[in-house]
Amino acid sequence: MAGSGSSEIVHSTAALYAPYILLLPMVAFPIILFLGKMFNGNKMWKENLKEGGLIALGFMAASLGLSIWLISDFIGAYGGVEKLSDWTWFTSSMWNSGVLTTEITFGFGVHIDHITVMLLFVASFLCLLINIFAVGYMNTDPINDNRNHRFYAEFVLFCSGMLGMVLADSFLWLFIFWELMGLCSYLLIGFYYERPSAAYAAKKAFLTTRVGDVFLMVGLAVLWDLFGSLDYAVVFNEYNIDKVAASNPGTLAWALGLMFIGAVGKSAQFPLHVWLPDAMEGPTPVSALIHAATMVNAGLYLVARMFPFFGAESMHGELADLAFIIAAIGGTTAVMAAAIAFVQHDLKKVLAYSTMSQLAYIFTGLGAALYLANTLDWHHDYKAHGIVIVAFGAALFHLFNHAMAKGMLFMASGAVIHEVHHAHHHLHPHDDHHHDEDPKELLMLANYLADTGQSVFGFFNSIDLDQSGEVDTYEFQKALKQADIADLPPWEMQPLMKALDMDGNGKINVPELELTLGRVHLASLAGDDHHDHHDEFDAQSMENMGGLASKMPLTATAMLVGSLSIMGFPLIGGFWSKEGIIANTWRVALEDPRFFYPAFCVLLGAGMTGFYMSRMWLKTFAGSPKTDVAAHVHPTNTWIKTPLFILTFFSLAGILFAGMGFTHWAPDIEYGLMSDHGGLLGGILYELDHVFANEKTFFFVLTYVALFFGAIVGPGLALSLYGGKLDEGETYKPWFGPVLALNQAVKGRYHWDNSAFGKSGFATALENRLYFDHYYDMAMLKIVAAFSVKAAEADSSVIDGTVKTVERTSQQLSTKLRALTTGSARDYILMAALGTLVLFGLIWGVVA
Amino acid sequence: MIDPAWVSGLSALLFVIGLAGAFTRKNAIIVLMCIELMLNAANMQFAAAAVHHGDTTGWVYTIFAIAIAASEVAIGLAIFLAMYGQHESITLDDVNVLRN
Repeated sequence: MAGSGSSEIVHSTAALYAPYILLLPMVAFPIILFLGKMFNGNKMWKENLKEGGLIALGFMAASLGLSIWLISDFIGAYGGVEKLSDWTWFTSSMWNSGVLTTEITFGFGVHIDHITVMLLFVASFLCLLINIFAVGYMNTDPINDNRNHRFYAEFVLFCSGMLGMVLADSFLWLFIFWELMGLCSYLLIGFYYERPSAAYAAKKAFLTTRVGDVFLMVGLAVLWDLFGSLDYAVVFNEYNIDKVAASNPGTLAWALGLMFIGAVGKSAQFPLHVWLPDAMEGPTPVSALIHAATMVNAGLYLVARMFPFFGAESMHGELADLAFIIAAIGGTTAVMAAAIAFVQHDLKKVLAYSTMSQLAYIFTGLGAALYLANTLDWHHDYKAHGIVIVAFGAALFHLFNHAMAKGMLFMASGAVIHEVHHAHHHLHPHDDHHHDEDPKELLMLANYLADTGQSVFGFFNSIDLDQSGEVDTYEFQKALKQADIADLPPWEMQPLMKALDMDGNGKINVPELELTLGRVHLASLAGDDHHDHHDEFDAQSMENMGGLASKMPLTATAMLVGSLSIMGFPLIGGFWSKEGIIANTWRVALEDPRFFYPAFCVLLGAGMTGFYMSRMWLKTFAGSPKTDVAAHVHPTNTWIKTPLFILTFFSLAGILFAGMGFTHWAPDIEYGLMSDHGGLLGGILYELDHVFANEKTFFFVLTYVALFFGAIVGPGLALSLYGGKLDEGETYKPWFGPVLALNQAVKGRYHWDNSAFGKSGFATALENRLYFDHYYDMAMLKIVAAFSVKAAEADSSVIDGTVKTVERTSQQLSTKLRALTTGSARDYILMAALGTLVLFGLIWGVVA
Repeated sequence: MIDPAWVSGLSALLFVIGLAGAFTRKNAIIVLMCIELMLNAANMQFAAAAVHHGDTTGWVYTIFAIAIAASEVAIGLAIFLAMYGQHESITLDDVNVLRN
C-alpha cells in the first residue's frame, strides 16, 4: 500500500472462509429459484418457508456470521492486504513484440483492508436486516403471491454481487460483480414488470448506469495498459505506481477520471442521477437494498479504492484536479437533490433524493480527502498524516451512518406505506376493482360517436380497413388516433381490446362493439359521480398521511432517529461524519480557492437536509390525519419491526462509533482503528472536545455555523410550515413530546404562507426534477432517433440493397435460364445434337 | 470384299436417318427405334474402322454397344409403359413435366 514501508500481513483462519461470504448467497440463488419453481403455490412452501424468504435468511445469516468473524480478525489490526485464496479462473498469453510469451493468470482472491471491512459490514449486515424486513413486507401483500421466490432469488444474487465486489482482489472482479449488481437492480426494479412504469424505470436504471459503466470499462482498459494487470497487488504496488508516475502520470489521471464516471453513474450523481428516483418503482425492500446496503455504495467504494493512487508520493499534485472534480460533482448533486426533495409528495421519493444528496456529501468528502492525500506530504509529516486520515475517515464514516440511517428510513417508509395500503384495502375494498372497470377510452369513444351522430355500424365500417368484418388491434388503434380520442402505446391497447373482445378471439366485430359501447354509455349516464371516486389512492403520498406518530410508534421513532441522523443532529449517527466532511472541505478550500464551491454547497446542503427531512417526518407523522385511511392505520408486524429496532440503536450509537475511532477510519493499514486517546471513553471525550471546542477558531466557528443551518434553520422552517399537534385523545410515546411541542410552538408563532413559492416557476421546475429527464429524453429523441432513422435508411438502401440486388439479379437470370428447359424430349435431343456438333467443330479446329 | 468406305458411308446415312426420325417423330417407340438406329450406325462405323485398321478392338466395342443397347431398350420400354400408365399416351409432345 501507499503507506510508508512494508505492511504486515494478518494470517487468519477466517480469511480462508472469506470467499464463502459471497458464495453462500450465490448458491442460494439457484436453490430458491428452482425450489420456488417446483413448489410454487404449495402451502408448506408458502407458510413455513415464506416462499424462499427463510432460505435466503439462513444463507444471509451464515454469510453475515462469516463476515463478522473476518471483520473481528481484521478490524484495527495491523496489516490485512493479502491474496488470501487463489483459484485460477483461466490463464492467458500475451503477444509481446511478436512473440507469444507473457503468461497471465486470472484468478480470484480476496483483498481485505479497512475499506473492505467497512463496506463488508454495511453490506452483509443490512442485507440480512432487509431480508428480515422483506419477509414481513413482501409475503403479506397478496399482489406478490406465488412470485416471491423470484424476489428472494434476485435479492440474494444482488447481495452476492455487492459482497463479491467488496471482497474482490482486482478491478476486473470488481467490474464483474459491479455488473452483476447492475443486472439484479434491473430485475428487481422491474419486479412488477406488468406495470409499464416499473418496466420503464428498470430500463432507465439499467441504461443510465450503463453509460457510466462504459467509461469505467475504458478506464480499466487504460489502467490495464499502464500496469499490465488489474490486480490490486500490482496496481497498488508502490514501485509500479512510481514507474507509471514517472512515464505518464496524465494517462493515469485519465484512467481514474473515466473510472470515476462509472462511479457517478452507479451512485446516481449529477448528471447521471436520473435513474434513482424512478428506481422507487421496485418493492420497498429493493429500494432499501439499492439505496442503503449495496448498489449506490459501489460507486463510493470504487472512488475510495483509488486512494493509493492519490496517496502515492510520486503522484504528488498530479491528481488534484480530479479530486476537485469529484468534490465539485458531489457539491452540485448535494444541493440539487436536496432542492428537488423540497417539493416531493411521495414519501419514498423524498428519501430517494435524500440518498442522492447524502451520497453527494460522501463524494465531496472523498474528493477533499483525496485532494489532501495528493497534495500534502503526509508520508513524512505526522500531522499531515493525521489530517488525511481524518478527512478520509469522515467520508467513510458518513457512508456507514448514511447506510444505517437510510436503510432504516426506507424500511420505516415501507412499513408506513404497507400499513396505509392495508388500511386503504380495509376501508375501500371496492376500489381495488378499478382494473376491472372499462378503460376510459371506451367512454370517450361512446361520447365521440354520440357527438358526431355516427352509428356504430357506420363507424365500424370506417375503421374496418381490410373489410374483413372484424377489427384487430392495429385497425382499432388507427381509428382511435384519427378520432383524436387516444394515441395509445401497445400495452394500453391490450386492456381496451380485452374489454371489447367478448369471445376472446383477439378481434372485434359489430355486435361486440355495439354491446360494449351501449353498456359503457348506460353506465356513464347512470353514475356520473362514480367517476370522481376512482382516481387512484396513492399509498405513498404524504398528502394521504399525517398523524401517524400515535398509530405506528416504533416506525415513527425509527423514522425520527433516522431523519435526525441524516440531518446531522448533534451526538447521533450522521452528525459526526457530516461535521467532518464539512470541516474537511472547508479546510481544503482554505488551501485551494476552487474548493469554496463544494464547501459552500455542503454547508448550504446541511440546512436543506434539515428542512426536507423534517418536512417528511412532520407531514407523515405529525398533525392530524389527512385522510380517513391515515386515521385507521395499525402498527406493523414483527418481521418489519425487528430491523427497525436494531437499526435505531445503530443510529443512536453514533457517539460510541465516533469514540471507537470511526472518524479516522484509515485508508491505509498502518494506522490502527482504536484511537490512542485512552479507550472508548477517552475516544468519546476527545471527539466531543474536537467537535464542540476546536482550538482552531475557524473550525470552532464552522461547526456552529453548520449546526445552525442543519439543526436550527432547516428544521425550524419545516416546523413552522408542516405538522401540528396530533388529534385530541391520541397517545404518543414520551420522546415525541418535545418534537410535537416544538412543532406547535414554532408553527403557532411563525406560521407563514408558502403558497407563493409553491406557485413559482422554480417550484414547478423542481417538481419536474429540473427538467433533466425532459432534456435527456429530448436529446435522445433528437440524437438517437435521428441517428436511428439515418441508420435505418442506410440499412435498407445499402446493406439490404446489396443483398436484394444480388437476389433480384439471380432471380431474373434463373427465369431466363428456366425457359431453356422446355420439358420436350425433342428439344433435348436437338440440344444434344447441336452440342455434339459444336464439340466436333472444336475438335476439328484443334486437330486441323 | 467391300471397301470399308462404303460401310462407313452407309453408317453415316443410317445415322442421319435416325437423327431425323428422332427429331421429327412424336411416337416415343419410333423415337426409341431411331435412337437404336443411330446406335447401330455407330456400331457399323466401329466395324468399318476395325476392318480398315485390321484391329479387333472395334469389334469388341460393337459387342459391348449391342449389349448396352439391349438393356437400354428394356429400360426405355419400361419407361414408356410407366408413361402410358400416367398419361395414357406415349406421344412425346404430351409429356413435358420437366418444363421450367
